Amino acid sequence: MSQSIKRSAPASPSSSQPLLKEPAFPIWLIVFLTLLLYAGAVYFDGHGSGFHPQVYAPYSSYTQLADLQITGPPNPLEIGFRVYHKPSCVSCHQASGAGSPGQFPPLVGSEWVQEPEPGRIIRAVLNGLQGPISVKNQQYNNAMVAWGGVFSDEEIAAVITYIRQNKDWGNNAPAVTADRVKAVREKIKGHPGPFTADELLKIPAAD
Amino acid sequence: MNERSSNQSAATAPDEISLSCRGPLVMLFLHAAFWLVAASVLALVASLKFHSPAFLSGCAWLTYGRVHSAAVNAQLYGFAVQAGLGVALWIIAQTGRSPLPHPLGFIIGAAVWNLGVLSGIVAILAGQGTGYENLEFPFYSALLLFLGFLVVGSGALLAIHSRRERSLTPAHWFLVAALFWFPWILSGAYLLLTVWPVRGLMQSMVVWWFGGNLTFVWLSLVGLAALFHFIPQILGRPLHSRQMALFTFWTLLFFGSWTGIPSTAPVPAWIPALSAVMTLLTLVTLLSAWTNLRQTNSGGQPLPGNLAPLRFLLFGLGMFQLAGLMRIVLSLPVLGHITSFTWFAPAQIQLQSFGFFSMVMLGAVYFIFPRVMGSGLSCTKAPLRHFWLAAVGCLLVALPWAVGGVAQGLKLADASIPFMVISHSTLSFLRASSLGEVLILVGNLMFAMNLLMTTTRCASTFFLPAFLAITAQTPKAEVKP
Amino acid sequence: MNYGPLVFLTAFVALSASWFGFVLTPQIQIGRLTESTNTLNTAELYPKARPGQAAQGLQVYRANGCAACHTQQTVQEGTSIDVYLLEVGTNAAAVSTALVKANVGFTRIDDPGFFLNLPKNILPGTTIEAAKRAFKGAQSAGAKAQIRINPQGPDIARHWGVRGSVAADYLFDQPVMLGSQRVGPDLSNVGARLPDVNWHLLHLYAPQQVVKGSLMPPHRFLFNVAKAGQHPSPDALQVPPEVAPAPGYEVVPKPEAVALAAYLVSLNSSTPVFETPMTLASSATSTNSPAK
Repeated sequence: MSQSIKRSAPASPSSSQPLLKEPAFPIWLIVFLTLLLYAGAVYFDGHGSGFHPQVYAPYSSYTQLADLQITGPPNPLEIGFRVYHKPSCVSCHQASGAGSPGQFPPLVGSEWVQEPEPGRIIRAVLNGLQGPISVKNQQYNNAMVAWGGVFSDEEIAAVITYIRQNKDWGNNAPAVTADRVKAVREKIKGHPGPFTADELLKIPAAD
Repeated sequence: MNERSSNQSAATAPDEISLSCRGPLVMLFLHAAFWLVAASVLALVASLKFHSPAFLSGCAWLTYGRVHSAAVNAQLYGFAVQAGLGVALWIIAQTGRSPLPHPLGFIIGAAVWNLGVLSGIVAILAGQGTGYENLEFPFYSALLLFLGFLVVGSGALLAIHSRRERSLTPAHWFLVAALFWFPWILSGAYLLLTVWPVRGLMQSMVVWWFGGNLTFVWLSLVGLAALFHFIPQILGRPLHSRQMALFTFWTLLFFGSWTGIPSTAPVPAWIPALSAVMTLLTLVTLLSAWTNLRQTNSGGQPLPGNLAPLRFLLFGLGMFQLAGLMRIVLSLPVLGHITSFTWFAPAQIQLQSFGFFSMVMLGAVYFIFPRVMGSGLSCTKAPLRHFWLAAVGCLLVALPWAVGGVAQGLKLADASIPFMVISHSTLSFLRASSLGEVLILVGNLMFAMNLLMTTTRCASTFFLPAFLAITAQTPKAEVKP
Repeated sequence: MNYGPLVFLTAFVALSASWFGFVLTPQIQIGRLTESTNTLNTAELYPKARPGQAAQGLQVYRANGCAACHTQQTVQEGTSIDVYLLEVGTNAAAVSTALVKANVGFTRIDDPGFFLNLPKNILPGTTIEAAKRAFKGAQSAGAKAQIRINPQGPDIARHWGVRGSVAADYLFDQPVMLGSQRVGPDLSNVGARLPDVNWHLLHLYAPQQVVKGSLMPPHRFLFNVAKAGQHPSPDALQVPPEVAPAPGYEVVPKPEAVALAAYLVSLNSSTPVFETPMTLASSATSTNSPAK
């Protein structure tokens, strides 16, 4: 039986040598491929960024990218904005700085934030706060996390400057320097736990 | 030979080659049919979630993310690769004019493969998926897939090695490459994702590299092999041009393997740029395959009884073009930024994986199955009905997705349109596609039932010879039915 | 092509080439990134590994296939460069002259109103060269100016992210789930946009209560509805009456839900990096709302 199949093999064309003469290869296909190759090479030359590992779209070359690196003195408001949105402060006090009524006091227009001397607010941020506190004539009773172990002096100074000088919130108080934060950190070494509002009020603001 | 080309006479006794294929192919095709139905059920469940977000949401196993990836993987590994392997075995045995060696080995390999697919699907639904697109199967399932493929694939290579007809056909080139390609990419991907895991975005690079090489290159290799083999055979005329087939083969391998990186990928700019260029170059692959097969087909009439398989194959050829063009659109810088992240991409995948590959495989199985069983299909009218259901269903799924996707992309590019409005504007398209999913499911059920009934109808009569062929020590022994 | 080995060789060469190009080369380029002070202006290290609970939440995100509907990649389409005049200083006339001399498009500045309502964007959408000339000119005349670099694109305009995503953003995730479809909004910067864990928990429990018309299925299987005993659980979720359980019952998030919410809150890619230069908004623009 398999013999008969073999004899009739030509009827199964794909498995035999071509019965007809092989047609000429279409030249237009080669021309088209060449055109595509050329277009592709031109495109890749413009967008391939020379295989540079640091160049991402939409940039197309390293020099273009390097030109856009604006170096300058760090802007404390920008660093503060980022620290605030870590998420750290923003989780309770909200991006709007309004806090949440009855739970977390607002920073907007807060007398604690805008004291001319920042001694108390620095302490509150470094070690946290616990217990009742009055802000804008509203009573709050909650706990605030200590951020002293999380952020550096520069970052704490920046975030306090950010909340004190945020124009959108209408706050306007002098900036806080990292040196000032460092000094306060030294002074409260003997006070490991969170502060209470009463404790803070006893400390001279300029301290 | 004429008796093998028509359905009626296919009912006459099969030869030893078909007989050696019977066990392995019935095993592969029946399981593939099962997974095809499973995939369409899962896809339908996922689609229905867009009619009501709360639909079946109480059960963690049926949450959208899990059902969706289970459907994709069942379609890909359960049906596509499995049916591809079965069709490859048939083509290799037929064109080489030698029976498959050690049919039992293929059956064991297929069993291991199906164990891998089953464990993978269950793992995905249980929340053990890896989270990598197209590679959601956990490591142990992938290991089973790898071993199963290794057994079946090496058997297929042995069959090629021991062929009696020495000259290789175009289908052979594609199949040999596919048999090596799959284990290479699968092991390459899993080694770099689980055994020696790469960090950060390199995981995505590996996933994209694998995805392009599986869903474009591998599916195209096997699908085109089937087209290059069956279209000439059904029309009873030779392939138009071997040289053009060789051109298709080379361009598919050398350009296709560099595609798959999305145009929006957050990686250094040269990577998506290079991938876009290479994807554009696959245009010549599409064109050469199209021209070659159109020339082969033009003016031809299918041999009697083969209208349904030919329709499936030609529809698959058309969708290969369409899916390839949509793939190019997705990879280009400007068009790709509009269409990526929208429903246009799933539409492309649907056309590539179902419209092209599955349709070609279904046509091939409808051609092969009566011949390998030595009997007509249980229902001879079903294939043509299935064709209409599948073709209309496929387009009814893919076209609303594609059109809705473009609309969605254009709106996403305009930030003044709120996201919620855009989401809701896509809903009508998504709901229309559910109807397509239903049609596909009905068609697939018909397919599975047909295969099952044909197999069981005369199980004892037809399996005894197959059983003898399996147990025979020398596969070349004459086994008369 | 009548030789099997030749076919094998073709396939092998083709696949190896793509492997070298798209796996090995990128591995050398981006696979070995480390934490670095890549950022502008500060000595902060980036990226940082996710804290423990958020890292567990990543696995919940993976297990439930959240990436099927959410991407985690902000696409940047361009960059716009602006020059802001912050303070004019004492000599407005000198600043006018300096700006005109800087050759950035001003022929003359007569209008005294030009220097009102500072800070003010005096050169919107300019080139970096012109911006630098204007900046230097203004500074030499005693004014204070700032060059602002703003990543552009629909994703950024929707507040999904502040800059294009880069490889460093994903360094410590295993698996990385970029996602490929935006059935829901992008999440690459959701932690900065929606930093409230309780918001996310309620959103997972009843999405439509938090976001009107949301298509997200509720994920109630991440929560226990238990009888509130003598001492109600301190972790119980405050749910609106529409979706509240029967009286006497409370909704308690399972550890998976808490981890997932922690993960979502940890998704934050607003740190500037060398690869996508940007000037951060120094005023708090309201981003604490669901993205558009």
